[in-house]
Amino acid sequence: MILGDFGTTYCKFLDLAKPGALPTIVPSRELWPDTRVDIATGHNGQRFADHYVNELIALARGGEILIPEKDYVLLDCGSRDIKFIKYKNGKLEDMGWNAECGASMGFTIELLKKYYELDYDDLQVPDHSFSVTCGVLGMSDIFDAVISGVEVAEAVARFVKGIAINAYRFAGSPAAIYLSGGLCDNPLFVKSFPCQVTTLGRFVLLTGLSAEAQRINQSNQDDNNGR
Amino acid sequence: MIQESFPQEINHAKQVGIVGIPPLAVIQTLNRQGVKILDLDEPLIRANIENATPYLPRVYCAILRTAVINALELELDAVFIDVGPGKCDCALHTAQIMKDFLAIPVITTKNLDSSGYGFPLCEAKMDLVAKMQAITNGVKSAAPYAIQPPACRPTAGFWGVPPRDFSILSLFPDTTHIYGWTRCMENKTPADHELEAEYNPEIPTVFFAQSFCAKTASARYLAKKHPHGLYLDVDVHTTGSAKAKIQAFLELSGAGR
Repeated sequence: MILGDFGTTYCKFLDLAKPGALPTIVPSRELWPDTRVDIATGHNGQRFADHYVNELIALARGGEILIPEKDYVLLDCGSRDIKFIKYKNGKLEDMGWNAECGASMGFTIELLKKYYELDYDDLQVPDHSFSVTCGVLGMSDIFDAVISGVEVAEAVARFVKGIAINAYRFAGSPAAIYLSGGLCDNPLFVKSFPCQVTTLGRFVLLTGLSAEAQRINQSNQDDNNGR
Repeated sequence: MIQESFPQEINHAKQVGIVGIPPLAVIQTLNRQGVKILDLDEPLIRANIENATPYLPRVYCAILRTAVINALELELDAVFIDVGPGKCDCALHTAQIMKDFLAIPVITTKNLDSSGYGFPLCEAKMDLVAKMQAITNGVKSAAPYAIQPPACRPTAGFWGVPPRDFSILSLFPDTTHIYGWTRCMENKTPADHELEAEYNPEIPTVFFAQSFCAKTASARYLAKKHPHGLYLDVDVHTTGSAKAKIQAFLELSGAGR
């Protein structure tokens, strides 16, 4: 059974028929149009599978598997949107998905890296940050800062910190956060959070889909056993 | 006498539009005279909602923008628009604007009806879209409810006004109880703010309001107060992420079971 998380910039795949195999990552623009998987999630996913799991459910199911605590906040920062789930006593307490007003933040961070040829490993967390609620609108702050004499690297770092603070507030300003999504690989972004951060990487949604695959298999077995 | 406030030409009206819930006495009179009532709050025509933009800002209640495009396109003899505490200030301003651009009488009312008709549909086991349609249709009649379906055991709650886009309701289980202004609507007491603020803390509940509506404050506040509430506001159409939020909230809460 092949699982696919079809993101805006990258798609992630896991073949459950190959135990121990690591997920593969393919840039979305290189995806073959006739790609098919058994279970899909991600905002592009419905086109590529008959069985689709919405991203918040996949995130929640992944968190249930990967996080040992009963009380936690799991925040997913992707290329296009941010979403979070909050569990208390092992049950869903709150959730949110910002696909409109908080859009394209991850995408913009990657765009800036390429445009200014920056390495986020080398950038320090700045003292100040921009007030950023949208990736596209936030770029104006960078250009204004550069015009006023701020170094490009410093201006971009303020932007990235602004995005991290915005995402943190969106998730309810918790004392600790589990972070998932592609931005886990950006050390500047992770260090910019004003709280304790545990990174879970970019395959949490795939983990959630594997729980869904188990549920389907169990259901099929029950059907075969006449239950 | 409510009829004294009717302009004379209304006595020969064949078709009128309503915005909000005019007082029962108005509906009774219209029913008695055999006047066809159209609920302008609902999308009744295929016209682009942008047609309302010359009269109302784009960033404005989608239900009132819908009422404006309905009033522009439909053949009406009058519009009754409630501007009392059972509706909103936006309706008051919209009524002023409608009076200016419509060539038909625009009659403002203040519905303070307080005799409850009950809200059996809100608690019935029924497809939520059909249930909402039945409740909104009920506004056009002053007759007591002929059918009183039994209450079901609720597994989910929907609090709020009837949404402009009913498609979000299709995500809820048939065992969803309705609260908020929609309950007041079925009860024919739209200004009953105590009834409007009621909810069931035992069941996961979506607190819904139209974007840019004053009721977003109550919806958001009550969702925070509710032990298992989700606040949601939607404008003209339900976005994919709004639908996904409801779907995930209901599934992860076990609301369908």
